[in-house]
Order: sequence, then C-alpha cells, then structure tokens
Amino acid sequence: MLQPLTVVVLVATGLLAILAAHHLLRRRLVDDPIVLTGAAIEVALLVQLVVGLANASAIADGAERATFIAYLFTVLVVIPVTVVIAIKEKTQWAMAVVLGGAVVVAILVARLQQVWSLHG
Amino acid sequence: MAEQPDTGQSNTGQSNTGQSNTGQSNTEQQTTEQPPHTGHGFGRVLVAVYGLLALAATGRSILQITEYFDRAPVPYLLSALAAVIYIVATIGLARGDRTSVRLATIALTVELVGVLVVGAISYAARSAFPDKTVWSHFGQGYGYVPLVLPLVGLWWIHRTNRASEAASREPAAAAESES
Repeated sequence: MLQPLTVVVLVATGLLAILAAHHLLRRRLVDDPIVLTGAAIEVALLVQLVVGLANASAIADGAERATFIAYLFTVLVVIPVTVVIAIKEKTQWAMAVVLGGAVVVAILVARLQQVWSLHG
Repeated sequence: MAEQPDTGQSNTGQSNTGQSNTGQSNTEQQTTEQPPHTGHGFGRVLVAVYGLLALAATGRSILQITEYFDRAPVPYLLSALAAVIYIVATIGLARGDRTSVRLATIALTVELVGVLVVGAISYAARSAFPDKTVWSHFGQGYGYVPLVLPLVGLWWIHRTNRASEAASREPAAAAESES
C-alpha cells in the first residue's frame, strides 16, 4: 500500500507514545500536544482508509480483503476512544491509556501493511 | 491539576486510606473524594483493554462466521462467545455499579475458565482447532493477554470491593482495615 503513509503513522504513534510516557512519569494530564498528535494520527489514518478502500480490490482472497477492510476501520476507533478516556480520568492512568492506544495503533498499522504485502 | 499521590500503584495500596486510586487524600480540605469505582483510575486501563479485545474478538468472529464458518465451527463459536464475554466485561467494569460489577465478575471468571480449558484442549487435541481463537494456546496469538487479563481484572474488582466496603463501614478506620 502507501509505504510513506505507514511510515508517517508509525513515527506519529511513536511520538505520541513518547509524549504519553513523559507525561505519565511527570504525572501530567492531557494537554494540547497529546490531542494534536492524536488528531494528526487520525487524519493520516483517514487518508489510509480512503487509499486502502480504493485499492482493496487488489487483494484477491475474499476473507483477506474483508480482514484488511475491517482493520482499516478498526484502527480509526482507537485514538478517539483513548483520548476521551484520558480526558475523563484525572490520575496518571490517563496517560497509561494513551500510551497503550499509541502502541495498539502502531501494531494495527503494521498488521495492515503485512496483510497488504502478502496479497497485494 | 495538583500533584497526585501515588495511589494508583498496587504496591502502595496499604499506605493510603483504603480508597481506590481515584481517591485524592493528601489534602484535608479536599471534599471531592470519589468512592472506589471499577471504571476509574487503573480501571480505565482495564476498560480500554477489554474494549479493544471486545472489538477484536467481535470483528474476528463476525468474519469467521460469515466468511468461512464451515472450516472450523467450534472454534468460531468460541470466538463469538469470547466476544460476548469481553463486551459484558467492558460494560460491567466501565459502569461500576453493584449489578454491573457482579456481571463483570461472572464474565471474567468464565473468561479465565475458558482460556484455561480451551488453551489446554488446543494443545491436547490440535485437530479440534484447525484455526485460532482468542483463547487457543492460552491466548498466545494475543501475547497471552487473554490469560493474564482476567486475573488482573478479578484482582482489581476484589480490591475495589474491599476498598468501598472499608470506606462505607467506617471511613476513619479505613486505613486500619485495608491490607
């Protein structure tokens, strides 16, 4: 698929993870950098969704294609949910959730790339 | 936001007032102490992880059942069962009232039994599991999260229950009754 886009998302999730880890250690709560980085990731994931859907027909196997499309949509959910949880929670666990969410997005994007490269 | 005490860490649980980590007890004037709640503090992490597992298991089982159910009906039905259990656990922990927590406790217990039984069977009788479920091989495909998570969840529910009992019984004596 779009390799540069995947790289961008992975770098951005890495940045979000570092920010969240830093805030976690410093006992800080959600702030603008966290939300903005999350928003940037979300935009990149939306671009990925459009590109992915446009090219999904290249995957011949029906089940694999369905998996691919399901991943494209699932990955969109993670960042908004974790940010909402982080805003509601007023202890250091807020940042633990964001950190976990960033890792999950990175894993899902890597999985997408894997499904694509095996069948694209 | 004021600095939070380290109440979220399990190893400091004995030293504080028996509140769960949502309690902010370092200042006397603070009147906004929240009661212990399974969906607050560390519970948010649990809710997030369970939510994710619910999403993953639901997605996987819908795919398995609609696309290739005939390949391995039993594992796929188990995937669907796991999905339902994860959804119940997520909602139960997030809501945190008495009935919800009881439901979540049941869901987590079933999950623990399920992952142990299915994990053991998937090793003993490989032919019965031609395709993976979240529970086969003790959740290996998910980094053993399905095995560890119910234990963590049950510990958390136990801890929250104890903390709220102590808090409701005698808030002043909570420090003694905890631990």
